[in-house]
Amino acid sequence: MKFPDILRLALRNLREARLRAGLTTLGVIVGVSMIVSMMSFGLGLQRNAVQRFRDLDLFNEITVSGRSLVGLVSSAMGDRSGGEGREGREGRRGRRGQADENDPARKVPERMLTEAALAEIAGLPGVASVEPNIDLTTYVRANKRALLRQVGGALVPNGATRFKTYLAGRMISSPEADEAVVDESFLRSFGFERPQDAVGQTLELLAPGGADEPKAGGGEEAGKKGAGAKDEANAKDEAGRDEDDDELSFFGLPLEEASPEDDPAASALAARTFRIVGVLKTEVEGGAQGGRQFRGMMPVSSIYIPLPAARAWADRYRNSISEVAFRLARASGVLKEGETAGYAMAVVRVTDPDVLPGVQTRLHELGFNSFSIVDQLKELRTVFLILNSALGLLGGISLLVASFGIANTMIMSILERTREIGIMKAIGAEDREIKLIFFVEAGLIGLMGGVAGALAAWAIDAVANRLAYRFILQPRGVSYVDFFALPPYLWLGAILFAVAISILAALYPAARAARIDPVKALRHD
Amino acid sequence: MNHSLIETREVSKHYRMGATTVVALDRVSVAVGQGEFVALLGTSGSGKSTLLNLIGGLDHPSEGEVIFDGRSLAPFTKREMARYRRHSVGMIFQNFNLITTMTAAENVELALAFGGLTGRERETRAGELLERVGLGERARHRPSELSGGEQQRVAIARALANRPRVLLADEPTGNLDSTRARELLSLLREMVAGDKLTVLLVTHDRDLAAQFADRTIQMRDGKVETMNAER
Repeated sequence: MKFPDILRLALRNLREARLRAGLTTLGVIVGVSMIVSMMSFGLGLQRNAVQRFRDLDLFNEITVSGRSLVGLVSSAMGDRSGGEGREGREGRRGRRGQADENDPARKVPERMLTEAALAEIAGLPGVASVEPNIDLTTYVRANKRALLRQVGGALVPNGATRFKTYLAGRMISSPEADEAVVDESFLRSFGFERPQDAVGQTLELLAPGGADEPKAGGGEEAGKKGAGAKDEANAKDEAGRDEDDDELSFFGLPLEEASPEDDPAASALAARTFRIVGVLKTEVEGGAQGGRQFRGMMPVSSIYIPLPAARAWADRYRNSISEVAFRLARASGVLKEGETAGYAMAVVRVTDPDVLPGVQTRLHELGFNSFSIVDQLKELRTVFLILNSALGLLGGISLLVASFGIANTMIMSILERTREIGIMKAIGAEDREIKLIFFVEAGLIGLMGGVAGALAAWAIDAVANRLAYRFILQPRGVSYVDFFALPPYLWLGAILFAVAISILAALYPAARAARIDPVKALRHD
Repeated sequence: MNHSLIETREVSKHYRMGATTVVALDRVSVAVGQGEFVALLGTSGSGKSTLLNLIGGLDHPSEGEVIFDGRSLAPFTKREMARYRRHSVGMIFQNFNLITTMTAAENVELALAFGGLTGRERETRAGELLERVGLGERARHRPSELSGGEQQRVAIARALANRPRVLLADEPTGNLDSTRARELLSLLREMVAGDKLTVLLVTHDRDLAAQFADRTIQMRDGKVETMNAER
């Protein structure tokens, strides 16, 4: 007998016992819809959590650090233990540095993060972009106020999510443009009422005037610089801790409330002017306590200027500690004439979180230190795997119950159809064919129940989502969130699972049907 | 009888009923030739139906063997046995044993489906068979809508569906009045004559047996009592 005939027979048998088949199918529908809706909830939670991290660039960025200038100097001076990780090139320390230090697996980086190294990293497969981290602590003047601020260098164009959303304006147009983007805290600090007010305005980075030869600066300048560096060291933590807290961030500094245009001292300052072209929406919540906030692997600044401009500025107005390190390096010959020191740190952005571990391995092979939170992603996945398994198990139990229903229905059906089975055997049905009819019947119940159950789960998800939005999210002013994820593999898998369970449930009844003795069955009335 | 199509050699069948063993057949040896119409006569419990089931491949003898066309059925696997039932023998029963939820045509087509026919070919063949038993008009009726005689004719059509060489009829007229019984057996004779089919008819009606069978085998208590010669 051909399969279409078996299928037709099975369908006919189900039609003959419509009510019973329908009720049995209902059991499967309940089971499948339970599994699918519960797991779609779990998967939805997971997706939303992962998406949240992904939105913050936490899963596609690697911090890479190279050998620092001071590290070079100390090794040249025979002090291998000193210095490493104690300073950045800008004299700044980040949390990441500490994390690196605490990790015993991490060794001292062998190479410096020079431009050439960055280009090499950018060429690795899976790397979308490499953005060296430069941030300057400097006085910024805008809207007639001058405040000490962290100014970050931004790669242009930039794939990071922190440059995605603007309250007004846009991203810096090109690496060469004298343009800047600022964030909301900048608006508050510098007294702009609305984001639109800031766009089109200029901001100036201030440095000691006449500093054409910063490395060979005069005594007055050096003194100024020294003082500046000291103040900077004090102030930058404050600035980092809470950029909104303006009073703290510039207390005790003579430039406070100064009107630069009228101040004769201002003429002694060099300035570089940038036009504000965009105001970023600040989306970082609950940043680290007492530390700088991070977005992805990058510290957040309230002002960004193009990377080349930031680099030029940093090279030109090195603080005194960096200057000493630089000169020592030069003097000891570790740093050749014409060589620059390279960056303390850069962020490598990968094309996909999945390739991140591979890229990180390559970075280690190339002799850099790196850090990412991909391990945390793995942990997160494990947690959700457990959650989803638990939810799936709950749904699975109801499907198990449904499978008992299927077995029961099939056994009932055999009792009813004993004679029919005997007849089929008498006219030449093989045991295999009898079994197949029952398997197909059960499979059909599973398939119909599975499809209807998946649809029911979809409906449950939709209704639950709307209810949650209406009664939980909306009253709190939260925008619509899809709590459920219903990927094709989930509902397709559930349908297949239902079919498989149904066929398993029919194993015993089918075997029993095939064992029916035709002689007895034909006598049966 | 040089060549017998069906032969039983010392066939016995025991049933265990609780502590006692019932002997349904006791060393029965019969032979039926190609194209013969043989009636198995006997009272109820004489073992004639049991013998028929053994020959029809529905049951296995406790002892002895059934030979069909020179081959013993004893070593057949379940699958080979199913094939044998499908292609070599056709059976009809006193209670017709049609599938009540199927129409006459569907009943015949079911047999054809097990025989491997599909689609149009199957429908055509089922139609022809029903036409031959005079039920062309009633093909779309369910057994409950047909008379006993009509139902048995559907059963004949189904039994002959896969062109068997033997037709085994177990009290086919038991549920019919004598007129219908005669009509049915006439039809049966007529249908097998052309194809030189061998017929084994189980009945307890001596008159019918005498009228239609080439020869009769009388059974009693699981044994062959008399085997009368050909007419």
